[in-house]
Amino acid sequence: MRMRTASSLLALLLVGSALRTAEAQDPRLSNRLDAPTRKALSAIVDSARAQGIPVEPLMEKVYQGLAMGADGSRIVVAVRSLTFEMGNAHRVLGAVATADELKAAASAVHAGVPAVELGKMKKQSGLRRSLTLPFTVLADIVSRGVPVAAATNAIKSLVGAGAKDKEISDFQRNVSVDIEKGAQPAAAAETRAKVVPTPKAENREHE
Amino acid sequence: MPDWGRTTLELMVQELQHPVRLDESFDRRVMVRVRRIYAERRHRGIIGWLGAAASISRRPAWAAALAAGVVAVVSLAVVKRTTNTVAATGQAIPVQFVLVAPDARSVAVVGDFNNWGLNDTALVAENHHGVWSVSAPVHTGVHRYAFLVNGKQWVADPTAPRAADDDFGQPSSALVVEASTQ
Amino acid sequence: MESSDAALVARVLHGEVNAYSALVSRYRDKYARYAVHMLGNREDAEEALQDAFTRAYRSLARCEDPERFGAWLFRILVNRCRTSGARRVRRGQTFVHDETALLNASEEHPAEQTMWREEIERALGELSADQREAFLLKYVEELGYDEMAEITGVGVSALKMRVMRACDRLRVLLREVHSA
Repeated sequence: MRMRTASSLLALLLVGSALRTAEAQDPRLSNRLDAPTRKALSAIVDSARAQGIPVEPLMEKVYQGLAMGADGSRIVVAVRSLTFEMGNAHRVLGAVATADELKAAASAVHAGVPAVELGKMKKQSGLRRSLTLPFTVLADIVSRGVPVAAATNAIKSLVGAGAKDKEISDFQRNVSVDIEKGAQPAAAAETRAKVVPTPKAENREHE
Repeated sequence: MPDWGRTTLELMVQELQHPVRLDESFDRRVMVRVRRIYAERRHRGIIGWLGAAASISRRPAWAAALAAGVVAVVSLAVVKRTTNTVAATGQAIPVQFVLVAPDARSVAVVGDFNNWGLNDTALVAENHHGVWSVSAPVHTGVHRYAFLVNGKQWVADPTAPRAADDDFGQPSSALVVEASTQ
Repeated sequence: MESSDAALVARVLHGEVNAYSALVSRYRDKYARYAVHMLGNREDAEEALQDAFTRAYRSLARCEDPERFGAWLFRILVNRCRTSGARRVRRGQTFVHDETALLNASEEHPAEQTMWREEIERALGELSADQREAFLLKYVEELGYDEMAEITGVGVSALKMRVMRACDRLRVLLREVHSA
């Protein structure tokens, strides 16, 4: 019991120091965040680290809030929300997910994509393929009005067919241009997903 | 008992009909988008004309020079989109950011890659006839960022995926820089 | 003398892009009101309105009656608000009142006025998106049913039903507030 208490205390000290270290390196944090905000953020950062969630994206969110002139309470809400979303992503993607995948997945969750769908995509794609860009594009097209189901299906079909990041990036650009020209978002996503050349589609053509 | 139904609804409508005023920065934000569309259409118009001119067997020298200039401008937007496949993990790669903002007095790029530092002089864009650009070293990973116009207006990169977070009421974009898989 | 919508549209289509800012100024506040009450917060309303103006510019050549640019723009905005409304529900965010209400609050009884505004916005938030849209177009924007049908693409009798149900629901909600 004493050993566990000591190691827990040590972990808390180490984790709590993440924010203090950042404060020492960047006076913005101590100058512009009041004490209650710093206390709340420390608690969130501690909890995130204990769950195995990368802390750096949370600090980036703090800096973003400061740059954009948000008050302390709004920054706390944003960081808490990001922690929750990354936690969801972490649970479904598992320990194999990279920090960047978690950050991109959190973005998709924030846009309204159920975390379980991201888990299905990860399972489908296997360990060797990073889903950072597909998750980023998924968040983007949902935020442009493509319904979640249509957007998820489009990205899933692209990933499942072996589309490369460049092709998925082109898909995102084409869908956004189509929507700006007045296309129904769902139709734009479904149509463009069909025409993206993928290794499996090209192999079928040569059969 | 008073007839809450009719009277309250009338009061409700009266309240809802109060005008809602937006400040003038709204107009500026709309016009930034509109002018960008206008500039894009003008570029496409030039490229389309050049495409037609190329089909003519004898091409004047000035058409070739104009083509070179236009390709350079188009390339600014294309380069921004390309997922960099050269860097190894953890290395910083120069990434070019471009914003068409003819009416801006200053444009800076701010994001996760520089801890949203507003005073980082390395990310102040240079103006070339209303096309603002800057190259910045960015480590592999996924980054949120935005342009800061005239020191106060946040603008998402129109050529990049949107960052879905709207936590602070300002737009931002997503940049993915990945290590080579070769 | 102020230029008509048709004159401004013609100038924009002839390449005078800055003439579009006059149309933006003309309709900005008028349609902001609808967007704020439909979407429940100023940020989403501004984004929806910006998108509507941008889309209108993109497809300006397809505006069949430039003299009625305002009505055409409003139709684009109403459609855009439908998309935003759906997104808002998905994220599970609550309906919050517009901060402008605080600025516009009566100086004599600011606290009461603010509470009243909050109750109104909360009640609006309880309506379905279809009912809220119909209620706002009919009673706040004071459109006729034919105009509403043209803008929304929904039949007149369906619109009348939505308005009636919205009023019934609002009466219940507001009576609950007053009897609480």
